[in-house]
Amino acid sequence: MDHNNDETLVEKSKDGDLHAFKILVQRHEGKVAGVIRGMLGKTQEAEDVGQEVFIRFYESLSNFRGDSAVSTYLIRIAINLSLNELKRRKKKSFFSIDLAEGRATEKTEDRHDLKEMLEMEINRLEPEFRAVVTLRLVEGYSTQETADILKIPLGTVLSRLARSQKKLQSTLSKYLIS
Amino acid sequence: MEEFEDLFLKSLDGSLSDRDKEILSTSIQKDARLEKTSNQYLQVRQLLHRQEADSFGPFFAERIINHIRTVKSQIDYQIFFFFKKYQLAVVGIIIALVTINIVLSDKLSVKSVLGLEEIAQEEIVFIDLYEGLTE
Repeated sequence: MDHNNDETLVEKSKDGDLHAFKILVQRHEGKVAGVIRGMLGKTQEAEDVGQEVFIRFYESLSNFRGDSAVSTYLIRIAINLSLNELKRRKKKSFFSIDLAEGRATEKTEDRHDLKEMLEMEINRLEPEFRAVVTLRLVEGYSTQETADILKIPLGTVLSRLARSQKKLQSTLSKYLIS
Repeated sequence: MEEFEDLFLKSLDGSLSDRDKEILSTSIQKDARLEKTSNQYLQVRQLLHRQEADSFGPFFAERIINHIRTVKSQIDYQIFFFFKKYQLAVVGIIIALVTINIVLSDKLSVKSVLGLEEIAQEEIVFIDLYEGLTE
């Protein structure tokens, strides 16, 4: 029996073993960071949300029955908290003039780094579309896994992916090699 | 176009049948616009796909564990102070009960302090008589 697999570490963490929980954090930090940064960009809030994900996981350990893998469970929390953060940002920008949006447009025209431009365009997608793109195209989860994590039908994942891909391609068409 | 989009998306999971692959490649070869679109889609995919592992930086796990420890000790502290409020009252009640037991028993012994004083033989007879009368 592997004494360091996720299930064993979860059981140990439930018994208050913080060292076991630390191993879980170190093991899954990368994936969680990738997903949150894909959703929120490389911002300070992204790290705050990252911390919140693992703290929520720790607090809900007693409810974790292992029906899904630890990584799936964590990514689900990460996506939900990121969506909440995006909603919060939207509310905030509703009450203040969003200058960042204007600046971003200017920057896009000047910027030569295609990857950065692409990331900027992803940040303009609707949150639900951004979640699909982040999981499927950035993090490389399969379409089925993406549907399972987001708890949406496979067809919805495919249609959101198609629309996002088309939007990204048409917006950046002049910068992409034909 | 719709079929192309559909097949192109499915190709992401590598789940295309030989026939679908054939349809996709033929439609790309025949139509220059589709060829351009498919090339650009592929570029978008390649650019988006994460090449290296992400991280929140060094000591991220340590920060989480420290946070949990701090919250835990705060909760313990709150529990301690929550019950501390009642500690004095409970001690006062215990002293009062012990005093009452000592005063009522007219002597100082462990049994009297605990309220477990033995019943005298006369009292047992009295209790038996009382029960006999009430039956």
